[in-house]
Amino acid sequence: MASGGGKKTARKKAARKKPARKKASASRAPRRGTRRRRWGFRPRHLRLIARVLAALAFVFGVVSGRWLLGLDQTVRERFEGRRFRVASRVLSAPTILYPGFDAGRFGLRGQLLRRGYREQPGARGTLLEEGRFRWSANRVRVHLRAFEHPSRAEPARDIVMRLGGGVIEEVRELPRGREVGAVLLEPERVGSFYGGHREQRDLVSLDEVPPHLIDAVLAVEDRRFESHVGIDPRRIAGALVANLRAGGIAQGGSTLTQQLVKNFFLTPERTLQRKATEAVMALLVESRYDKRAILETYLNEIYLGRRGSTAIHGVGEASYFLFGKRAADLTVAEAALVAAIIQSPNRLSPHRHPDEATERRALVLQLMNEQGRIDDETLAAATASPLGVAEIAVEPNDARYFLDLLRRQLPEVYDGDVLEGEGLRIYSTLDLRLQTAAADALRGGLEELERDFPALRSEDPAKQLQGCLLAMRPQTGEVLALVGGRDYGLSQFDRCTQARRQTGSVFKPFVYAAALDAAGGPPQITLASFLDDTPLEVATATGVWRPENFNKKFHGRVPVREAIEKSMNVAAARLGQQVGVDRVVSMAQKLGITSTLPRVPSLALGTAELSPLEVARAYATLANGGRRPWPHAFEDVVDPKAGTLDRRELRFDRAIGAGTAYLTTSLLTGVVDRGTGRRVRAMGMRGPIAGKTGTTDENRDLWFVGFTPELVTVVWVGFDQPRSLTVSSSRAAIPIWVNFVREVAGQQIRGAFPRPSEVSTFDIDPRSGALAAASCPRRHREYFLAGTEPSDICTQRGVRRADDPVAPRRRGLFDWLGFR
Amino acid sequence: MWHFQTRRHLRLGGAFVLLAAVACGSVPRGGGREAVRLPELLGDGDPARRASQRLLIEGLEADARGDSPRAKGRYERAVQVDPMNPYAYLVFARHEIDRRRPAQAQAFLDQARALFDTGGGVPPNVEAHLLGLQGASAALQGQRSRAAPDLRQAADLSPAVWGDAYLAAQELL
Repeated sequence: MASGGGKKTARKKAARKKPARKKASASRAPRRGTRRRRWGFRPRHLRLIARVLAALAFVFGVVSGRWLLGLDQTVRERFEGRRFRVASRVLSAPTILYPGFDAGRFGLRGQLLRRGYREQPGARGTLLEEGRFRWSANRVRVHLRAFEHPSRAEPARDIVMRLGGGVIEEVRELPRGREVGAVLLEPERVGSFYGGHREQRDLVSLDEVPPHLIDAVLAVEDRRFESHVGIDPRRIAGALVANLRAGGIAQGGSTLTQQLVKNFFLTPERTLQRKATEAVMALLVESRYDKRAILETYLNEIYLGRRGSTAIHGVGEASYFLFGKRAADLTVAEAALVAAIIQSPNRLSPHRHPDEATERRALVLQLMNEQGRIDDETLAAATASPLGVAEIAVEPNDARYFLDLLRRQLPEVYDGDVLEGEGLRIYSTLDLRLQTAAADALRGGLEELERDFPALRSEDPAKQLQGCLLAMRPQTGEVLALVGGRDYGLSQFDRCTQARRQTGSVFKPFVYAAALDAAGGPPQITLASFLDDTPLEVATATGVWRPENFNKKFHGRVPVREAIEKSMNVAAARLGQQVGVDRVVSMAQKLGITSTLPRVPSLALGTAELSPLEVARAYATLANGGRRPWPHAFEDVVDPKAGTLDRRELRFDRAIGAGTAYLTTSLLTGVVDRGTGRRVRAMGMRGPIAGKTGTTDENRDLWFVGFTPELVTVVWVGFDQPRSLTVSSSRAAIPIWVNFVREVAGQQIRGAFPRPSEVSTFDIDPRSGALAAASCPRRHREYFLAGTEPSDICTQRGVRRADDPVAPRRRGLFDWLGFR
Repeated sequence: MWHFQTRRHLRLGGAFVLLAAVACGSVPRGGGREAVRLPELLGDGDPARRASQRLLIEGLEADARGDSPRAKGRYERAVQVDPMNPYAYLVFARHEIDRRRPAQAQAFLDQARALFDTGGGVPPNVEAHLLGLQGASAALQGQRSRAAPDLRQAADLSPAVWGDAYLAAQELL
């Protein structure tokens, strides 16, 4: 420093000396009358400097101009193009509540909480806000939210349900107390189609945002928003002072416009350059767009928290996330909380840090009051009110296989960019209650098998025992539940729709149906017929095929029912030969099988590889009286702006005769009552149930396909790399099926399989298959297509052939009338 | 011989008299049978059936107002609650006739009839609707020779409703 000070002194001395040197030079002496120049520059130097500066200014102007133009273009492209990418959302099927509905089994209270309904204490008869409920031992009052939908909209309804043992006994609508038969609980969010960014957003227009929400946001984030031009020097200065006092960042100086610019265009880094760019862009935005547009964009962009791995953006989505309601319905206190968490949504999360959130909300309310936006009374009431946030409902993990199915189906019509950015609403057929039950049943069943048969267990996730469960409504084809594997996180391969596995005996009903069918000629068999279960040899292109039964035994002449109930391979193979492989293929295709079927004799024993989905459809055709449904996983696709884009209609086609379907179903009822599927009954299930077990060679694939009049459910168990399970399908697949169906439909199945008028009943002798006269020592009721009942008659004296003229006949009505 | 023939004839005659008496009792006289209206059925069946019927009524009310999408939504919910409700398919068939989709209407009618059969047969006050809708479906498909007898029979059974060969939504309410 001392030397530096010495240098300065010397320079000063030199400067002082300069005028003396100039005076000594006669050529440089100033001319009389001119001003002395202090610094010694000549005009030409000045001109040079000016030219350089001008050039620099020009270059700077060009560069900055280009930069400005670039920024301006960026701003325009974003604001005037599609401002937001909004992920399309998948919604479950709505739940219909009605007297007799088992609300306890459904878990109504939990379902309300998942949908963002909040409990509101209060005396009976007091006002209940939309989206709230009151729960007591035998009474539930719910103010159901409106359900927006272009063609199936539901209004908000304030209802009271009287419960008895968890079952809804009565539903009345307030305020008049009118009894209603059924109300809809709106669908639940199942998942979304995200692009690169997992963001959820529910766009709102400024008209849909209540004034007090705008006031709250402006009060705390930018009180002079209406008057500044994008940057607010006073705010900057105030922030600087506050931060200096605090010794750190205590207050931001950014306006709403600057925050919007930062979120829309820039990185969050705190550098001078970035701040400068932000300021310039804010000015550009303000110069181009009005305050309403800027505010609306801000309110839809702002980050406001996380739901699991998904970011919540915008006040629309945040309103649902925090309060289970639309932004338009927020109260002052709720609006203040939304505004409060803008500063730091994670640190101020009302779910995790309620105290901090409450404190910050109080600050917002205080600011609103100071700025004249709310009066003292409102301030006091809002400050005193509890936070009242809804529970966080993360999208269910169990539905991810189903979402993948939709993701594969929808792009056939809507491309990825539309699904990931246009905010479509996809109303699916998924029944979340059934989905949860299906996931639990499958997972539990596989784990139980591994416990009971340790050889099935594997530590390698790729080699674990796997399964699939798919449930469908046969009348409509709606896919109600789909679980494509035991753990989506470990394997996203969907074994219900993407896998093709041999079906084994699950295919046999198609053979029997083909044999029972009367289309194009008399049926090959009736339910009174007998099949031949004796050694069979069939010449094929690859050699002689000799089918065997599971127990390696042959049973000789057996009734049709016994053959299928015990799943006799040889009888089925012989029947397949009798019917002809072409007719078997045709029948399978009519029922709904779409995979290519090999036209080989072993087809009758299920050597074709099929997906559980198409098997479900084929069995649904049987359950639906021969009418083939159209499987679908969604009902509607709606664009919030354009309306309904796609609507699936209830549709089914007559595939096979109702009589054929009924007879086949009757055979499969016997499988469950007495045959290989009798474990279903042993596990306590009652009522109309039909089904078929299926086991492939070496027990590599274990199937059970079972159906009631209202539900078809397919269960498959096996390894992805086929290997023997050493367990029967009865042991492996049936318990999973029963646990699922019992959970969703109860132990006593309602209804009956509809018997068409073309099917008649007759008593027959089970030993001979003849009609049983009154004196026949044995009888059993059997079903027949009209005109196909046996003509032979069993009496106590034996069987009388139809063409036997000697044997006495029983006198019937026509005998009495004298007609014969 | 004469004795035997007399007894045979007497038996035949008695049988015919009996049959005629039964037939007279079942043939509608004068104005025909009152066709079913869904509100009459609200007390029947299990809870799912009753809820399904209520949803059908709401749908019919929407159809009567001209709100076809809402009506259809209600019918679909009715099927979801009780897929075995034959009235749901009957109402659906009527709706499809209105929309001039006879093939779909026929499929729904098949379903309805099969479900009625399983419940003990088609109730007499429903038969008129099934026949009439069947006839209307055939007429829409240009099959006049098939349509006419069904429509005539429906009108005979329920002239107040089927006299004009059309079933309006409010006629089921």
